[in-house]
Amino acid sequence: MSPGGGAEALARLRRAVAEIEAEAGAPRERPARRLPFSRAFDSALGGGLADDGLHEIAPAQPQDGAAAMAFALALAARFLSLRPASALLIGEGFADQEWGALYGPGLIAHGLPLNRLVFVRAPDAALAFWAIEEALKCGAPAAVVGEIWNLKTYSLAASRRLLLAARKGRVPALLILASAYGQAERLSSAADTRFEIAALPSLRSQAAADLDLPGPFACGARLVKARLSRAGPEAPLRAFNLGHVISLEWRSENLTFNDMTFKDMGLDDEAISLPLAAASGDRPRAAARLR
Amino acid sequence: MDAEAARLGLSQGLSLPDARARFPALVAVEAEPLEEARLLERLCDWCSRFTPLAGLDGRDGLMLDISGVAHLFDGEAALIEDCRARLAAQGFTVAIGAAGNPRAAWALARFSGVKIAPEPLDDKAFARLFYDLPLAALSLDETTQADMARAGLRRIGDIALRPRAPITARFGPVPVARLDALKGLERSSIAPRFPPPDFCAERRFASPIQTAEAIEASLRKLADDLVVLLERQAKGARRVELALYRVDGHVRRIPVGASRPLNEARAIARLFAERLASPHEDAIDAGYGVDLMRLACLAAEPLAPSQAELERAHEAERAHALAGLLDRLSARLGARAVTRRELIDAHLPEQAEAAAPATLGRARTHSESGHCERSPDQVRREAIQEYVGRPTTPGSPRCSAPRDDGLNGAPARPLRLFTRPEPIEALAEVPDGPPLRFRWRRVLHNVAAIEGPERIAAPWWRGAAMPTRDYFRAEDTEGRRFWLYREGLIGRETLHAKWFVHGLFG
Repeated sequence: MSPGGGAEALARLRRAVAEIEAEAGAPRERPARRLPFSRAFDSALGGGLADDGLHEIAPAQPQDGAAAMAFALALAARFLSLRPASALLIGEGFADQEWGALYGPGLIAHGLPLNRLVFVRAPDAALAFWAIEEALKCGAPAAVVGEIWNLKTYSLAASRRLLLAARKGRVPALLILASAYGQAERLSSAADTRFEIAALPSLRSQAAADLDLPGPFACGARLVKARLSRAGPEAPLRAFNLGHVISLEWRSENLTFNDMTFKDMGLDDEAISLPLAAASGDRPRAAARLR
Repeated sequence: MDAEAARLGLSQGLSLPDARARFPALVAVEAEPLEEARLLERLCDWCSRFTPLAGLDGRDGLMLDISGVAHLFDGEAALIEDCRARLAAQGFTVAIGAAGNPRAAWALARFSGVKIAPEPLDDKAFARLFYDLPLAALSLDETTQADMARAGLRRIGDIALRPRAPITARFGPVPVARLDALKGLERSSIAPRFPPPDFCAERRFASPIQTAEAIEASLRKLADDLVVLLERQAKGARRVELALYRVDGHVRRIPVGASRPLNEARAIARLFAERLASPHEDAIDAGYGVDLMRLACLAAEPLAPSQAELERAHEAERAHALAGLLDRLSARLGARAVTRRELIDAHLPEQAEAAAPATLGRARTHSESGHCERSPDQVRREAIQEYVGRPTTPGSPRCSAPRDDGLNGAPARPLRLFTRPEPIEALAEVPDGPPLRFRWRRVLHNVAAIEGPERIAAPWWRGAAMPTRDYFRAEDTEGRRFWLYREGLIGRETLHAKWFVHGLFG
């Protein structure tokens, strides 16, 4: 008996399939699976985030880096629930010193399975991009989260490389452009989607004494860019205004985003793509920075 | 002392002024024991070209176990000649002895003109070889030697031919035991500097190679050879080391690790290519040329047994791909840069997790987690419950704090933790109360919501002395959430509270 008999059988079957394909022509490519995450965004994205795309996340202000990371990790937690594989968290080494290292107990509290995470620390941005691309191409991880501070080398070409790698490996890439605060609209890259994330006061609960108790992670998300060419013919696009800020609350216990906008406005589930943020003035907890 | 000085009649132990008085032109160089030790270690590494079992012997000797390797060099005499010639080319003069046991070899090398003891060594030959050697060849300490000299015992033959009992009675058991060791009656072994590899393949070059391409090409051939050896036992390599022996005596060792047993030559060669491309690694410096390359498998494991089901084969392929990816990343970025983490039941928050290199491969990867009794989902829920909730009872340690994760389900631990907590200026209403506003990195934050304190004291049961910390989860008016703490109990441990931010929540 040779070691790895199963793999051999698999290879034999693959050869057989290749022979059939050579005669009958290649099969149609599997359309990207889409991960729904928020009712407000899903319709604009043709059902959710593509699981083979490049998604960029930029903080709105310098201090929103933690919120951007939390948003990316929340999406990664949802991608991890789709496939029984590990996720890679790739970052530049100095960020650990400067902004704090990702913290295991905190990641668990955020809804991520710690034993399925691999932490990669690259000495500089170039190597971080290399690691992200390798990870995407290999196709094994369930998601790749990259946090890049030095964006000098991040260009249209570099993002295109990442995008092609993500398509090839069918792995979603969540790229946090940590130093691109406030530039989300000015960047040009090949990414499928780009979000701008701002911190948002959480849904607090009343305490007996003076100050309220903070609640779970909440953020204001703005979809700045969405490439729709691959969304398929059924892409709905019912007049979604890209500029609107959607308030999301992350419930780590069941891995879902709650739409605080809906909740506050008392709208029902069907009212998905109405212009929402215009009504934010009457919200009790409207953040001052909502635009 | 060099040979010239010895010829003039100087000896060790003579003081420098005395020596100067005799020979005013004397050149004295200060001894550097550390440098010498390092040089000896380097020589020892170099000597591992002859045998994997090479060890240091005292301050000025090397011990090589050449059993079973001498024939590769056309016998012991040729081996000794080869070794002597190569070392002479590097500028070293050595005394070499070979015998059936380490002690005999040691004695021959240092005290005898005959360098190779015949094997097997009968009594007659032993008498001829060793009886005339001085007692120092037994490496006895000086007082014993002096005592014996006073008793008229100067040569090994003097004690070997006498009854053992009186000698033991007078000089202790050591001399007789040493004599037995010399005869090979006692088990003795040498302590090699590096453990012998399980498998190894090597290539010697008649003319040294210098170019990186040539080294790479030889590496591929070596990997082919190694894989043949591994395949014979259906094993795969987990740790592989490439050793490059340079002509000038320098030895460069490059270890790489794999997270699953490897038995493909290309994969092994690729790991080295990644490793050499990494920024932490110096490029190969062939110097005057490399005349021996050895690829050693330091740890081998049986290949995973074949899996019958295709489904699992597919899953394994995924894990396989991931393992390959992690190997490549670790080879390029360093094993410490690619880690998995696990929780540790530690009291202090900064010690609550431990990172281990991902290439070490942990049992709890995703492919196995499905087979345990609890579903992964359930495990996750439990883990979240552990860290979500509001332990607000002051004074009670975190582990026993009651958790109600109902109310708002906010995380109790931050997403990012500063390796060094950053000091902040905080303003509190009462000295031991929660902060109202604080300044961190020159930005003022007004606290809009706060929860705490969660008191974490130093683990006194381990005798740790550290001020008590009171942790607060604070949210400012902009919605940013911080993990703050106040160091020291006011009035008991400190007069002025120092505030720190220890982490950031999402």
